[in-house]
Amino acid sequence: MKGYIGEFEELVLLTIASLGEDAYGVTVKEDIEKRCDRNISIGALHSTITRLEEKGYIKSWLGEPTQERGGRRKRYFELSHQGKVELHNMKDLRDELWKLSKARLALAGKLIVGS
Amino acid sequence: MKNQPPRLASRLFEWYCENAAIEDLHGDMEELFYLNLEKMSERKAKLKYWQQVLSLLFSDAIKKRKKKSVYHPYSNTSINLAMIRNYLKVAFRNIYRYRYFSIVNVVGLAIGMSISLLLIGMYSYISSYDDFHTNKENIYRIISTRTEGLEENDYASAPTALADKLKAEYVGIKEIVRINKSLNSEVVLDKINIHLQGYYVDPTFLTVFNFQLAQGNASTVLSKPNSMVIIEKTAQKIFNSTDVIGKTIELTDGAIFEITGVLMNPPINSHFEFEALVSFSTLASSETTLKSITEQWTQYNNQYIYVLLPKNNDSEKLQASLDQISKASYPKQNVTATFHLQPLSDVKLGPDLRNSIGPNWDLSSFIIFGTIALLILLPACFNYTNISIARSLKRSKEIGLRKTLGGVKNQIFLQFITETILITLISLVGAIIIFFFIRAQFQTMLVESSALDLSLTGKTITLFLLFALFTGFFAGVFPALYFAGLNPIQALKSQSATRVLSGLRVRKVLTVFQFALSFGFIISLIVFSRQYKYSLNFDLGFQKENILDVELQGADPSTVKAEFSKIASVQSVSMSSGILGLSSSSTWVHSTDSNDSTEVNQFFADGQFIENTKLKFLSGKNFPDAEWKREQYVVVNEEFLKTQKITAPIDAIGKTFLIDGNELEVIGVLKNFNYTSLRSPIQSFLFRMDPSRFTYANLKVVAANGTIAEIEGAWNKLKNGKKFFARFFDDEVNEAYSFYKVLLKIVGFLGLLALSISLLGLLGMVVYTSETKTKEVSIRKVMGASTSSIIVLLSKDYFKLMLWAAAFALPVTTLLLDEFLSNMQYYHVTINFWDVLLSLIILLIMGLATVGSQTYKTALTNPAETLKCE
Repeated sequence: MKGYIGEFEELVLLTIASLGEDAYGVTVKEDIEKRCDRNISIGALHSTITRLEEKGYIKSWLGEPTQERGGRRKRYFELSHQGKVELHNMKDLRDELWKLSKARLALAGKLIVGS
Repeated sequence: MKNQPPRLASRLFEWYCENAAIEDLHGDMEELFYLNLEKMSERKAKLKYWQQVLSLLFSDAIKKRKKKSVYHPYSNTSINLAMIRNYLKVAFRNIYRYRYFSIVNVVGLAIGMSISLLLIGMYSYISSYDDFHTNKENIYRIISTRTEGLEENDYASAPTALADKLKAEYVGIKEIVRINKSLNSEVVLDKINIHLQGYYVDPTFLTVFNFQLAQGNASTVLSKPNSMVIIEKTAQKIFNSTDVIGKTIELTDGAIFEITGVLMNPPINSHFEFEALVSFSTLASSETTLKSITEQWTQYNNQYIYVLLPKNNDSEKLQASLDQISKASYPKQNVTATFHLQPLSDVKLGPDLRNSIGPNWDLSSFIIFGTIALLILLPACFNYTNISIARSLKRSKEIGLRKTLGGVKNQIFLQFITETILITLISLVGAIIIFFFIRAQFQTMLVESSALDLSLTGKTITLFLLFALFTGFFAGVFPALYFAGLNPIQALKSQSATRVLSGLRVRKVLTVFQFALSFGFIISLIVFSRQYKYSLNFDLGFQKENILDVELQGADPSTVKAEFSKIASVQSVSMSSGILGLSSSSTWVHSTDSNDSTEVNQFFADGQFIENTKLKFLSGKNFPDAEWKREQYVVVNEEFLKTQKITAPIDAIGKTFLIDGNELEVIGVLKNFNYTSLRSPIQSFLFRMDPSRFTYANLKVVAANGTIAEIEGAWNKLKNGKKFFARFFDDEVNEAYSFYKVLLKIVGFLGLLALSISLLGLLGMVVYTSETKTKEVSIRKVMGASTSSIIVLLSKDYFKLMLWAAAFALPVTTLLLDEFLSNMQYYHVTINFWDVLLSLIILLIMGLATVGSQTYKTALTNPAETLKCE
């Protein structure tokens, strides 16, 4: 089935991809909040991350302990191959739908931001 | 650093997450906190931190991480077949290795479960009642609540008039079946008469209910008056053949029926019980059933109504119209009734209703039986729990090792539950064997035993297995939890640490409970047997020896008297209306001076009867011997004077009272005596003499041997075709108390079970403690302790426990027994000091014999033998 990921899941996946090597809890949260101008709770974020990990879309590993977090290690995230495939599927689906309905979606001189 | 994340929130988070891997989350939150500090006030940042903690606490992320952390990194998280196999193997080895304890456990559990098996078997059979009717979901019985004055009773019956009204006024009913169970007579045959019991039913009976006809057409067999359908068994009994259509049956009351159909023997698991069905139209055509409208609605014993509603029926609508009918049918009457629909499935094990149509099992007696079964089962489970925990020392190393190698709580728990269930399954085999032995005995104790089949079926075996699983779980849950919670380091390191923990207090409580129960049964047994003797030897206040009661069965009293008087060994012949000391009827007495009326018990007898039974006159005289045309006199008792407010017996003589429309004169006053059963107190009572009410001839005889044959000969001379039926007066009275024998048997048997289970448990415990204390005993012996002092040392704790048990059981048992006895019988014994002492002695002897046998063995061991090794 195509498009088996939800909106927030897609957002998290893309953010992790965009952050590259520096994707861990705090950066993902801050980035999404800044970009989308919305407040997300840490609980909701980690629930989603856990779910994505269970589905096999992302991989995670623990980093080295650092001073600033009371010596606690960070958990870094990275997209798995399956995650990438799923994102591509999602994009393809959207593109297809956009192409089909371009004429009807035309806004009077405005761009669509966010989703 | 001053600005730190709130400590409490941090702690809460760590505490809640236990040992789950949350390092990264905690770190994230702290990092966010310091980021926030730059943006906002400290207070706000702290508040934010709290928010984050809470949002995580309730999130899936933590839940899942926690779940992961439950299992040891090396352990397999799923239930693995290989592990189960290992558990079973270890369990079998343990059972085999500690045979002694296994036997104690298995025997105890088998005994404990056997009683429950009876209950389950009975329940399973009864729940199959009336399952064979294809319409069972849509059949309802109309039951009633009848109120007369202040008395309110629930009846299984409902007036036939209601059925007629429903038929005429209510349209939502598919079929109505009217049943009248008053067919209860004897079939006239050449040699002896055969008793026949059955129902008058509507033709719809055969279509609504699934009783299969062997011969005849279901739609026509019961349509005409005086037609009868007979069941095969009874046809065989009466005609020696089942091919009986067209034959006629004559009853002793003169009714003649034509047999129109033969019914296959109905299944016994039905709440209907009949030998024959007669068309309902027979009743309508016989004049005796014509009653006034009021009577039809208020006197409806033996009348039943069943309705078949259409599928997807609306029983509430019918109930509403039943309520309306009940309101309309009892305008300002002394007796009123309300009607209710009872689904057929509720009939088999429903509330206790009066005037039931057939075999009747009420829920409340089932609950009592269930409680008793539980009281026997519990001690057996406790035995297992007790012994298992006591032996935890032996197992703690195994558990410690399992835990070190990655076994987690759940797995250890599963292992011990598996082991317990294995033991209960073995016990189940034993329990079923016991079940076979006590089944027949049990059935003879039940009134409705003919409608009960306790043979094993697939259903009962499944239920038995489920029950064994449940029992296993119940008995094993406590030890399993205990073992699962053991700390592996302590379990492996030293034994002394776990010794303190080996549940000593729990074990003591369980042992005390067991002995309290046994003690209760022993006291009950002693008190009941005393009650039985007390009832038999109770001075009823009259003579009952050497009096033979002959049932008159409709024969004329004076002819009988004349015939019997000719016999030499018969001293005198008296007449009475029943068995004095067992039953009496009651009537109302109107004083001629005032309008008051009081209830009084009455008994019909002649003067000779009072003389033969040697009742004492306080004043006045006996009934005159002379025959009379009209009832004239009464002989009353002391209590009668009290209720009539007459102080001196002499004053009562000559006073007249209006009884049943006759003006009767008091001719004599008797000293109080127990005219009715010991269940009720002596109340206002009088003797009347009305030959038409006599049903017994009471013969005072000299010698019993041979006399009865002579009397029977005299009876046969009367040539009335009735069988001679006679019993001795004292036997009859004594037999009325024979239910105590059944009670004694039950209590005795249950007590034996409870006691043997407790003793088995005790034995297990003693064997265990003696084993663990062999070294201590040996050292004591080397130091010079005597055998007796060692026995005392090892036994005194159990002695104390038994005393505790007795102390706990005593008040409860005393209360319950007092309540029970006073409900059962007005004249009853009370528990006295000697009962208690005797029970205590029995309990202590049994207990100490068990304990002593083992401690004695331990005390005798040669210290050199035990100290040699190690």
